[in-house]
Amino acid sequence: MNVIVLYLLLVKATLTSFSGLASLPMVRNDFVLHRGVLTDRQLNTAVAAGRIGPGPLGIYVVSVGYLVDGVPGAFAGWLAMITPAFLIIPMLRFLGARAEQRRARAVARAVLFAGAGLMASAAVPLARDAITNPLSLTIFASSFLLIASARVDSLWVMLGAALIGVIAFQF
Amino acid sequence: MARPRLTDVTRLFFRVGVTVFGGGDPTIAILQREFYRRNWLSPEKFAIAFGLARLTPGTNVLAFCAAAGWYILGLGGALAAVLAITIPASALVVWLTSAYDLTTHYRLAQSIANALLAAAVGTMIGAALLLVRTQCKPGRWLRPVTISVGAFLLAIVAKLTPLQVIGVAALVGFFWPES
Repeated sequence: MNVIVLYLLLVKATLTSFSGLASLPMVRNDFVLHRGVLTDRQLNTAVAAGRIGPGPLGIYVVSVGYLVDGVPGAFAGWLAMITPAFLIIPMLRFLGARAEQRRARAVARAVLFAGAGLMASAAVPLARDAITNPLSLTIFASSFLLIASARVDSLWVMLGAALIGVIAFQF
Repeated sequence: MARPRLTDVTRLFFRVGVTVFGGGDPTIAILQREFYRRNWLSPEKFAIAFGLARLTPGTNVLAFCAAAGWYILGLGGALAAVLAITIPASALVVWLTSAYDLTTHYRLAQSIANALLAAAVGTMIGAALLLVRTQCKPGRWLRPVTISVGAFLLAIVAKLTPLQVIGVAALVGFFWPES
């Protein structure tokens, strides 16, 4: 597939969605069903690779691009992922001083608090997959406490979890 | 507010981009902590960047990074933030894509992946709590807690989409001003 067409298809999917994995149905429709350049198994691999690593969930489009067209495809996927982000700058410029008004600030903070609730709700289905035994429950609870207390950098939390994973494998 | 150098901004976003797991929301919560610690962004501008990012198409966290970078250092800051947070993570995801079969065939890789997933979930919920706690003013917790818990219930029980929940929250924020 031409790398420009690949970019245009991926950017169409990212521009018409409002969260990381919301573009998935359109990507599946274009790449798996319509053009047949990707299998469902490959798409699952892309999503899984995006979830295992750091970064946003929407990063799976980089993986999709890589599976379709190698490194140039990954570049097209990366570009499609970051393109919509810059739309926020004209929005900020347009809002300008209006954004500093008391009512606008109240709305923005309400959206922020709702975002926290959404974050917790997004963790629920993940928790069902992730917390399957006493060890994973302990890792979950420790990570929660360390991050919520704001005392430990997330890097150390993840490194600690990886180390526990290695130790658990030995037993 | 302090005005950092471009290299400092790039370094922070790079570090967060490669070390925070669990998607965009924990990334935003960790960035919030770092911004406040360094005095780079006021709580008001943080809230505006967060709110608008939710309404921007694409991956919300990247729009948030562009907005935060723009507030901190203008267009250069926005570019540095988005590039620094995505390039290393994208390189990693390409490597993970080619090595993904390892996690299904090797038990050690599986054990590490399971531990990381459990930690990522703990990080997500911890980050949600941190996000609310750091925005709460002393003695004024009712509005933040009500909106956060309400959004959680609307998503889990009423099965509203994130965009619908954000719409409801914006309305609540408009008609329930902060005291």
